[in-house]
Order: sequence, then C-alpha cells, then structure tokens
Amino acid sequence: MRQRDWAVVLWIAFLSAATGFFVLFGLIDPLDMINVWADRFDIGVRLAYGLAFAFLYLLCLLAAALTMFMIRTGPASGHAEGKGRRPIPEVHDPSQSNPDLDDEDWK
Amino acid sequence: MSNGQDASSSLYRKDPKVYPRDVSGTFAGLRKLAVVVLLGLYYILPWVNWDGHQSVLFDLPARKFYIFGLTFWPQDFIFLTLMLIIAGLSLFFVTAVAGRLWCGYACPQTVWTEVFLWMERWVEGDRNKRMKLDASPWNANKILRKTAKQVLWIGFALWTGFTFVGFFTPIREFGHSVLTFQTGPWETFWFLFYSFATYGNAGILREQVCKYMCPYARFQSAMFDKDTLVIAYDEARGEPRGGRKKSENPADKGLGDCINCTLCVQVCPTGIDIREGLQIECIACAACIDVCDQVMDKMDYKRGLIKYTTEHNLSGEKTRVVRPRILVYAILLLALISGVVWSINHRVLLRAELLRDRNALYRELPGDLIENVYTLKLINMDSRPHKYKVEVVDNNDITLFISPEPELQPEQVGNFIVRMQAPESAGRGSTKVDVRFSTMEEPVIERTVSARFLMPFD
Repeated sequence: MRQRDWAVVLWIAFLSAATGFFVLFGLIDPLDMINVWADRFDIGVRLAYGLAFAFLYLLCLLAAALTMFMIRTGPASGHAEGKGRRPIPEVHDPSQSNPDLDDEDWK
Repeated sequence: MSNGQDASSSLYRKDPKVYPRDVSGTFAGLRKLAVVVLLGLYYILPWVNWDGHQSVLFDLPARKFYIFGLTFWPQDFIFLTLMLIIAGLSLFFVTAVAGRLWCGYACPQTVWTEVFLWMERWVEGDRNKRMKLDASPWNANKILRKTAKQVLWIGFALWTGFTFVGFFTPIREFGHSVLTFQTGPWETFWFLFYSFATYGNAGILREQVCKYMCPYARFQSAMFDKDTLVIAYDEARGEPRGGRKKSENPADKGLGDCINCTLCVQVCPTGIDIREGLQIECIACAACIDVCDQVMDKMDYKRGLIKYTTEHNLSGEKTRVVRPRILVYAILLLALISGVVWSINHRVLLRAELLRDRNALYRELPGDLIENVYTLKLINMDSRPHKYKVEVVDNNDITLFISPEPELQPEQVGNFIVRMQAPESAGRGSTKVDVRFSTMEEPVIERTVSARFLMPFD
C-alpha cells in the first residue's frame, strides 16, 4: 500500500512537472532565465533545461507527497458521520455543584 | 470514492460552533503580547522608511527585495531561500524543545483569530452572551450586533489584505491607488484574495484550519519525544473529579483536585477537553492552564493541575532538555545562521558583465595596434554612489579605455563601452584578460571579471 502510494506520488509529480515544463518553456526562452538568474554560473542551455525540470519536479513531488500525507493522516472514512470522533465534551455552569464558583466571572 | 461509502457519505460535517470564553492570566498575557508585537510589525513595517526606501519591500517589477538596510538582487535570492530554510529549522528546533509554541502564540492563524475574537467579544460579549445571541430570534439588537461585527471583521480583513500588498508595492503609492480606485488588476486580486483569506480563516473557519487544513499540525508529533514540553492534565492528582464546596476536604469525599467546573473546556479555542489526554487538536495556547490556575486559587488548592510538563515528568522521570535531536537541530541552525550572516556581510556590492562586441573579432588601428570592443554592464548594489576605477590586471601590453567614466548612483545599472588595445606584437590568437573594477571611495569594493582579447591568428 505504501509503496503503491509512493509510486503514484512519483508518477503524478512527473506528469505534472512535464506538463508545467512544456508550458513554461513554450512561453519562456531558457536563455532569458539564465541571463537573469544564473549568469554568474556558466551553464549551457541543456543544463538550464535540466535544472528547470528538476526544480519543477521537486515542487510537484512536494505537493503530491504532502497531499498523500494529508489524506493518510486526515479524517478516516465515515468521519463526517461521526465515526472515530471523540464525543463533544460536556460543559456546564461552573457553579453547578461548585457553589464557591457562584460568581459572575465564571458564568 | 472508496468502496463502502454510499452516495450520502459527505465530505464534511459541521462541528458545533466553539464559543471560547475569555481568559486572563500569564499565558493569555504572553499571547496578547505576541499578537501585539507580531501584528504590530506586520501592519507598521511597510509604513516605516529605511535608507530612503520602504523598510521591507519585495519590489517584484524592479526585482529588488529590501529588508531594512539590505537590498537583495535576483542573484542574492539564495539568501532568501536559506532564510526560509532557517525559519523551517527554527520551527523544528522550537517544537522539539517546547512543543507547539508556534501554534499557541505565533502562528498567523492564531494571532489573527485572536484579534477576530477580540472584535467579536467587544460587539457580542463573552461566551454566554454570544451563545444567547446566536440562539435568539433575529431582532433589532441581533441585527445591529451582527452587522457591527461584520463591519469590523471586513474592515480589519481589508486592512490586512491592503498591508499584504503593501509589502510588494510601495504602500503609500498603493494607498493612493486604492483611494482613487486606480489599483492594477494583480494588486486588486491579491488585496481582495488576502482579505478574503483572512476573513475566512480567522473569522469563520478558526479551529477547523488547525484540525483539518494545517500540515504542520499533522507532522509536528514526529518532532515530539517524551522530553518535549506539552500541556497536560495531572490525572493522578485530579481524578476522580467532582463538584464540592471549598470548605469540604476532597479526600473525605473520595475526590481528586479537579472540581469538574468544565472551564478548561469552555476557554479552549478548539473545543477539546484536555483532561482526555494529549490530543492533536490541542494548539498549546495554555488558556486551560490560566483558567485552571485561577480556579485552584479560588479553591485554595495548589496550582498546576493543568500545566506545561513533559511525558517523562508526568511519569516521575527526569526531563532532559539537552538531547541528541536538540543538539542536531541547534548545530544545523547555528551553522546555517552563521553562514548566512557571514555571506551577507561579505557580499560584493558590485556586479560587472563584460561582453564582447559581436560585430567584429578585432580591429586593426594605425600604429600597429589591435583593438577589441566590449559592452560593460556595471551594477552598483551599494546604497552609496560610487565612481569606479577600471584596470587590466597583470598585463602591461593591454591598455583599457572606457567611456563615459563609470559613475553610478545607489542601486543604479549602467552600460558602458570598453575598448582594449594592444600592440600587434603582443601575441597571437585569444588571450584571457582579467579586468578589475574598484570604487574610488573607501572602503573599496572591488570585483575582477575575465574576458577574451582576440589578436590576429596568423
């Protein structure tokens, strides 16, 4: 189950990163990005593409892994119907059976 | 949908509304202080100027981030990334030492919810009055109070959204744009979006954010161990719980120290009963500690029935503050902070890009001279104006001419033409030339860049 979940995370992150990659570089020339962000390093266009994809993939992995984590640790099936929930704590007037708290501040 | 869930299975069941009772005391005072300091910084900082610019401004169009006396250029974004990592690591460190201190006192969700609660209390009164008001039929009083609360909430949310945009657009200019209805589309979007998010999260969702939406609430337990500070009810001392008169001896009635007043539940912003044990919903705001201590005082019992403690402490063992995970976090944090501070202090506030003129490899000049032409982009990243000296390093054959004389205002970018000349007899082919740029003023800021100087190849 866990291995399958991780495989889904890796695969969906890859698909998302690939889509984002094509859209991004359909609009932006990687050379422009090099000139702005990384011109102190002498990197070529291929490396710029590679780094950009790696960055996008990491972001997508983070999103997908966090989603899996939130679903795994979140409310289980039936939570909305009350399954697995603690009963709502009982609350009453503090002075009920505590006459010394029969004070306006506590009511 | 997974198997076994029928069509009526809903995503969400509305929990009963939590009406947290107002509380005073040491920890409530600390939280008020945190709210005032943190929100004070948030709302005031954009209005404070520093060195002639807004003290904190993330100027996206100009791609310059101002944080007090520091200006970060796009090339410096690594520092901002490192600062984010430091912030994350600090959170881990604090959580390992003191539990959910972040949740209880410093999380934006907590501080803004606190302010929204203050406004709610001013208008509708404390817990009981609010409950009665909500249960009562709509009448003039209810309409008036609910409207006043909404006006306050929406006004505060809009001010929050306005301030948020003010960190990215000079806030005074943005204020003028808002007043004259001339805000740009992105400014308008973020202004309204952040206002809406504040209103929704702090006004409506409140504890639901912590319970269902916050990833940190889910994984903070991974940083906990038996020596982490938690808020706990001393079950051995408190149970069996039950009502009694102050004059009665609980031992005679077979009771512990908990008088079952349920005030700890009533003050809880997430609506839990801390006496049921440590729960993921507990944001460690310590409101239950404050109110329980007051009740203990009233009953002349010892304080601390609910208290900050550790699991080891509760089981009678000794709490260790210094332990491997704390040391690892502390060392990492110290190394990162030192590294970032050192790097920021040793930044060279000058950038130079020397690009060869692509039209010609070289020019032959009268007097058997060879000339190469370059375009120089010089960036003064300092907050002072500078004149620059430009010279070729360790090469007496090459003479450098630059026009105009490089002189830049603070944070100015200048483009110049650089010509380098050498006698034809100086060599053949391509030669690496180092060019040093240095300020005329003290302390000297200098940077050396390399370029290729081309001579005839034959």
